[in-house]
Amino acid sequence: MEKRVTGLQFLWKVTMNNLGKYFEIFWLLSRYSVMTSMQSKVSVALFTVAKLIRFAMFFFFIYYLITHTNTIKGYSADQALIFFLTFSIIDSVSQALFREVYRFRQMVISGELNSVLVKPYPALLRVLVGGVDPMDLVISVGYVCMAAYILYFIPNISAVSLWLYAGFVVNSMVLAAAFHVAVLAFAIITTDVDHGILIYRDVVSAGRFPLEIYKEPMRSILTFVVPVGIMMSFPSQAVFGTLGILQGTVGVILSFGALWLSLGFWRIALRRYQSWGG
Amino acid sequence: MALYLHIFLVTISEYFAYRMNFILWRARAFFSLIIRYYLWLALYEGSQSIFGYSEAQMMTYVLLSTVISSFVLATRTPDLAGQILNGDVINFLLKPFSFFGYFLTRDFTDKLLNVVFSILEVYILFALLKPQIIVSTDPFMWTALIIFTFLGCLIAFNINMLISFIAFWSPEVWAPRFIFFILVMFFSGGFFPLDILPTGVYKALLLTPFPYFYFVPSKLYLGYTGSELIFYSMATVFWVLHQHFLWYLYGKEGYGVTVFMEGNYE
Repeated sequence: MEKRVTGLQFLWKVTMNNLGKYFEIFWLLSRYSVMTSMQSKVSVALFTVAKLIRFAMFFFFIYYLITHTNTIKGYSADQALIFFLTFSIIDSVSQALFREVYRFRQMVISGELNSVLVKPYPALLRVLVGGVDPMDLVISVGYVCMAAYILYFIPNISAVSLWLYAGFVVNSMVLAAAFHVAVLAFAIITTDVDHGILIYRDVVSAGRFPLEIYKEPMRSILTFVVPVGIMMSFPSQAVFGTLGILQGTVGVILSFGALWLSLGFWRIALRRYQSWGG
Repeated sequence: MALYLHIFLVTISEYFAYRMNFILWRARAFFSLIIRYYLWLALYEGSQSIFGYSEAQMMTYVLLSTVISSFVLATRTPDLAGQILNGDVINFLLKPFSFFGYFLTRDFTDKLLNVVFSILEVYILFALLKPQIIVSTDPFMWTALIIFTFLGCLIAFNINMLISFIAFWSPEVWAPRFIFFILVMFFSGGFFPLDILPTGVYKALLLTPFPYFYFVPSKLYLGYTGSELIFYSMATVFWVLHQHFLWYLYGKEGYGVTVFMEGNYE
């Protein structure tokens, strides 16, 4: 009896068979993106300076506040800074990888998306990761070094908890990808909203601080409804040993579930696409 | 006057054409308010006073600065940079109305809509979370608050126009605005009252225009001395005049250097 293959299984099979080719296209698009960015060196430099100022200000603000109030929900200044640095790493890497999402609405309105859809590779490859931002990647390396330096001075951090931290950061990237795919799909469904991605940025900014500062029901909403907690707090909680096994497992399942759902949403949005622009 | 009323109505119509967009924009602002509120609430657990501020004073500052900032910082002047870059600005210069008045009216409309929604959001937060706040009944303080907020608007408007004028000389207009936005976020007292900083840093910040956007009006509400009021008044008036002079100077210079063709940098 012939086995029935669902749409997503088919998509998975096609993706696996063409992984090498897709990586080659991703590499090519990334090279072009770096070359395009370097066309306006002044702009790149100014944006980088602005991002560094913002980072330095928040860093100083958190450190200054907590050293004057001793703790925030039981976390020391160093631990609070790890929460902030983890947020900065995830935010910066996702901005670096998914930069093209910020330009997607214009692509839909102008009709340029039509030319992407006729290409012989998945449109997501182009509209999700087709515009890598080199400066955000460079900045992320700095954040990782700072986090490593602070973690070195925090007592009772084992190698296992560091591995767990790294694993949950990867899990956060899966969730970030899910959010970005959902924003792309939303931009196709409605052209009324011109800053869907900025709404996402505002929501995840709640993860700059330990999730414990939010009272119920806000905390549960931020953990399970809009899973900012899983994305921004779980890696730090894992490294400090305050994350339960059940919580962590649910977090991983929810992240992959969110990615699966957002890919489904993307496919539905593409079916509804009517070529708005052009 | 009828002309500017028409500009006011057209700007409102623009917003209502993209209602969902505006609602989500305000949802972003509300979310940002919630984050600040919970952060301070967590810091006050087990403490009666932080940096000389009681919990009620800090919550009053957070809520009041939110409303004032939504009025002072709301602006449509970034549109001008795009219009200079694509050459559309020539259409405004040829029309029989004041270019300054046009943008001021659009700015005022934007401010009005934002402040109405901002008050609504603070009310929702107040109804849901019932924070402790200080209610002042001092009529002199309310008058000072209104005057300083108005002057803060003028400083913000002038600086925003100046940033848009960069487009006369360079297509790199968004990065300076982003830097300005970051500086405003911290140095105007968006996250915390500036006087909790070390005295030297606080005094240095008072020499910049940023505290006069919404830190000073919010601070006046919580109490002030006579000498503070005199200093704030002189500094605010200085920044209004200084920025307006630069605005006039660079605007005039900018029109002189611009060649309006299909677009300045295309």
